[in-house]
Amino acid sequence: MKRYDCMTRLAARLTDELVILSLGASVDEWYNAAPHMRAASLFQQQLGCVTPQALGLAAGLPHRRIVSLDTDGGMMFNLGILATLGNERPKNLFVVVWDNECYQSIGGPPTHTASGRVDIAAIARGCGITQAHTARTIEEFEAHCVAGLAAEEPYVVVAKVAGAVQPDIRRKHSDGREDKYIFVRHVEATEGVVIMGPSEHN
Amino acid sequence: MKQSAVDAVIRGLKRAGVSIVCYLPDSLFKELYPALDADPDIRTIRVTNEGEGAAICGGVFLSGKRAALVMENSGLRASVEPLARMGLGAGIPVVMLMSYRGELGENNWWAIPHGITMEPVLNALRIPYRVVREEETIEQSILDAYNWSYNAYYHSAVALGGSIVR
Repeated sequence: MKRYDCMTRLAARLTDELVILSLGASVDEWYNAAPHMRAASLFQQQLGCVTPQALGLAAGLPHRRIVSLDTDGGMMFNLGILATLGNERPKNLFVVVWDNECYQSIGGPPTHTASGRVDIAAIARGCGITQAHTARTIEEFEAHCVAGLAAEEPYVVVAKVAGAVQPDIRRKHSDGREDKYIFVRHVEATEGVVIMGPSEHN
Repeated sequence: MKQSAVDAVIRGLKRAGVSIVCYLPDSLFKELYPALDADPDIRTIRVTNEGEGAAICGGVFLSGKRAALVMENSGLRASVEPLARMGLGAGIPVVMLMSYRGELGENNWWAIPHGITMEPVLNALRIPYRVVREEETIEQSILDAYNWSYNAYYHSAVALGGSIVR
């Protein structure tokens, strides 16, 4: 199963959701797979921060569906977030873990999931996240997207994907600061709120 | 902490517009955490480590709500990685309220590292901070931290020490 194919299936189901995503090649893949979601996606370079940030966003905007696109390396960097999700039980957070069983962006050394023993979905279920599943085919993945985007409880799908990156995709040129401004302005416009407002005159 | 100091912290957080607090409990703030849990205007999120709490606070910032990360100052060390990446890499601010473990007067050997490392770690990350030891200045210091962070879009910290937490 290719991550890019999964992304295009997920992207086709997104309209007004907000997305936080992880580092590495998945950033450029999402940038191309979901062009209509660029302003609604926060492209971060933060191992271990993606799902926690998504939970913070979900807590602040409980009426809005939040999607976390995390990775096996990122999730294992801070497994504790699964325990926090299990107890906080956000009703609006769908977590996808791209599990390619390697640290792809540095050339592909294996993560712990490559052994076949470490099962992130099982860890999530052990944290009380009842809806935590592993998808191995594009059909399974799409079915979990349908369920996860409508769920009233935390929903985790671990997508077992190949280590290859989609070839010939356009690289994103913006950095973390520009990405943050684009995302914040999108949240402001769609929520009718001010996050980064004007200075005082004094 | 005295009840009056707990009240001052909560007044400061509310005046700063905080509605979500992430915390990992410690002993010096032990009276503060249940008061935060009980406050109807504040949602608390208990975290497994302070770095996770920092990242959740970053997400809350992006939502337009205001968050605080409340912890012992040892939690600063656990938060360095997400703080560096969010603050220096993206300009996503986190306001921290921490107990000052390990300052002069400390009577636990295990807390000495917290005192020795807190200010150098804050300085390494170029995080402005205020050490507050007078109860009368708690509320304004919390307000000042939020004002600064919401203009700098960078982290700030208030450390409560001295008789406030002893």
